[in-house]
This record gives sequence, structure tokens and C-alpha cells, in this order.
Amino acid sequence: MHDRPRLVGPAHFCQIAFSGQRTSMPTIQSICHWLQHTEWSQDVLQSSLLFPFIEGSHIMALAISVGLVLILDLRLLRIAFRGERVAVVMKQSAGLSMIGFGIMFLTGIILFVTQAEKAYNNRFFVIKMILILAAGLNAAWYQWKYYPSMDEWDQSENPPLGPRICAIVSLVCWAGVIGCGRTMAYEF
Amino acid sequence: MLSLHGLIDSFNQWCYQSPVLSVLRDTKLGIPAVQTAHLLGIMTVLGTTTVMNLRLLNLGYRELSADTFLPQVWTWFRRGLFLTLIAGFIVFLPDPVRYAQNTSFRVKMAVLAIAIAWQFTIFRKQVHSPPSASPTAKTVVISAVSMILWFGVGWCGRAIAFFG
Repeated sequence: MHDRPRLVGPAHFCQIAFSGQRTSMPTIQSICHWLQHTEWSQDVLQSSLLFPFIEGSHIMALAISVGLVLILDLRLLRIAFRGERVAVVMKQSAGLSMIGFGIMFLTGIILFVTQAEKAYNNRFFVIKMILILAAGLNAAWYQWKYYPSMDEWDQSENPPLGPRICAIVSLVCWAGVIGCGRTMAYEF
Repeated sequence: MLSLHGLIDSFNQWCYQSPVLSVLRDTKLGIPAVQTAHLLGIMTVLGTTTVMNLRLLNLGYRELSADTFLPQVWTWFRRGLFLTLIAGFIVFLPDPVRYAQNTSFRVKMAVLAIAIAWQFTIFRKQVHSPPSASPTAKTVVISAVSMILWFGVGWCGRAIAFFG
């Protein structure tokens, strides 16, 4: 008796994504289904050490990044570190913060792939992604709008409202990311 | 006279029968909300600990004066720790037996106790009188122990969900 050859990679994807569908385009749902059911993601998910290690690294990297962002936001809000220049705090935080974000995104993508379909159907995951996007846009807005003129208000006792709003948006977004990240696990 | 076992039994009974804790235990978003506060505290603790150690070791924040910068970061570390402990205790209360039986939780509590003791004695002294020149071997050891202990607490916390 001949077994059907086991399809892996793109062939397996096509088999799942297009099965029983009249449309020629795969849906996001079907892509997520394929991602979650690849041999690779199941191996990672069921690994007793690798999965906890990746999840732990995701949270530890988040702690470093968000911790450094907190220092900068507190300075922008003039709640702490008032004697230090914003430009200096920002410059000093940027490098390590980016390393933290890099690890967080890399491990986050692996975690997503292992549970892609569950995550796609989870409202807290969707909100988390929106908040990450909002935090990114907020940082880009700050860089574009306020960074070039920072010398003018850096050590002023009354900095413009804009940078302070950016700091509040940043804190709210990252607190929301943490909250949604924690809560989504309860709906898996 | 109440024995230690009697006290623990009474405490457990109170935890499982308290109406407030029942609401927290049985509401879908109750525990995740408190865990979020716990995590926000942990992020602050680990983030500020990293920043303080980077500055102590001259690996980061070099352009900021250690004398003024470090005590301020220390203040936020304490605030983060306060939030972590309060929220963590509220997460523990609704189901104390499950946590008490978890080996990772027990290890976490032990490491946490050592970390707090280390941070508020030896480490605190370094933060409030940082070495002026390049870090000494003593500073390197103090910082390394601090990082290992606090991130160890974090890893043990994650282990609760995966290992018994």
C-alpha cells in the first residue's frame, strides 16, 4: 500500500489554504491555520524547554525595552530626571532599547507562528498589535515633529505640550500591550 | 494555642471563602487585570535594575551623572517593586494552595527574598555612593549578582506556568 507523500512547506500550505475553497486567494485565516499546523511550529510549541525559553525571552526583552522607554517618558513628562537633557537620555537609551525590541519582535514572531490561528481569532491579540502599531507611529511622529527642534525646549521648564502627549501615549500604549499580552493567554 | 498548621488552614479557609477573592477568582478578567499590574511592576523593576547596573558598570548612560541619576532611578525601582509585591500578593490570595504546591513558585519566592535583601543592602550602598572612576571588581560582582537575582525572579515567574 502506498501512503500519500507527506507534504511539507509551501505544498502543505497550498493543500490547506486552498482546500475546499473556490477562491484562488488564500485567506489570512487559512495562512494562520497553515502556520500553526506546520511540523516546525508544532515541534516548537510542544517542546518542553524551547517554548518556555522563547516565551521567557520575549518577556525579559520586553522588560528591558519598556523599562528604558519608561525612563525617557518620565523625563519628557518632567516627572523625573529633570536635571538631565532629553537628548542625552534618549541617545543613551536608544541602543539597548533597540536590542530589546529586536529580541522581543523575533521571539514574538516565533510565538505567533506556533499559535497563529488562535492568536488571529483572539481579540486581545488584535488590540495588542494595534497598540504596538500606535506606539511605533507615536515614536515616528515624535522623531519627525519634535526631535529636530529639541534643542529649543530640551531644558525648558515649560516644554511644548506635544512631546508630553507623545510620552503619555507611549506609556498608555505599552501598558496596554502588556495587559493584552497577559490577557490573551487566558482566551487560548 | 494555634499551631502553625492551624494558622495556615485558617488563612486558606479565609482565602477560599472570602467573597471579594471569590469574585476575583471567578471573574473572567479579574486575575488577568491584577496580573497586568504585577507585570507592569516587574517591567519597571527589571528595566530600572538594568539601567542602574549599566550606569554603575559604565556600560550605558555614561553622559549622565551617576550621583544624581542613580538615586532617581532607585526611587522608580522601589515604586515598581511596591506595585509588583502588592499585585503579586493579590494574584496569590485567591488560590494560595495551587501556588504553594508549585516548585517554581517556591524557588521564585526564595530568589525574591535574596534579591530584595541584596538590593536593599549591598546594592543600595553602591547606588548611593557610586564609584567615581571605572568600575572596580567589587562593583562588577555586585551588579552581576543583582542582574542574576532579579532576572532569575522573572524566569522563575514564567516557570510557574510551565513547570510544577
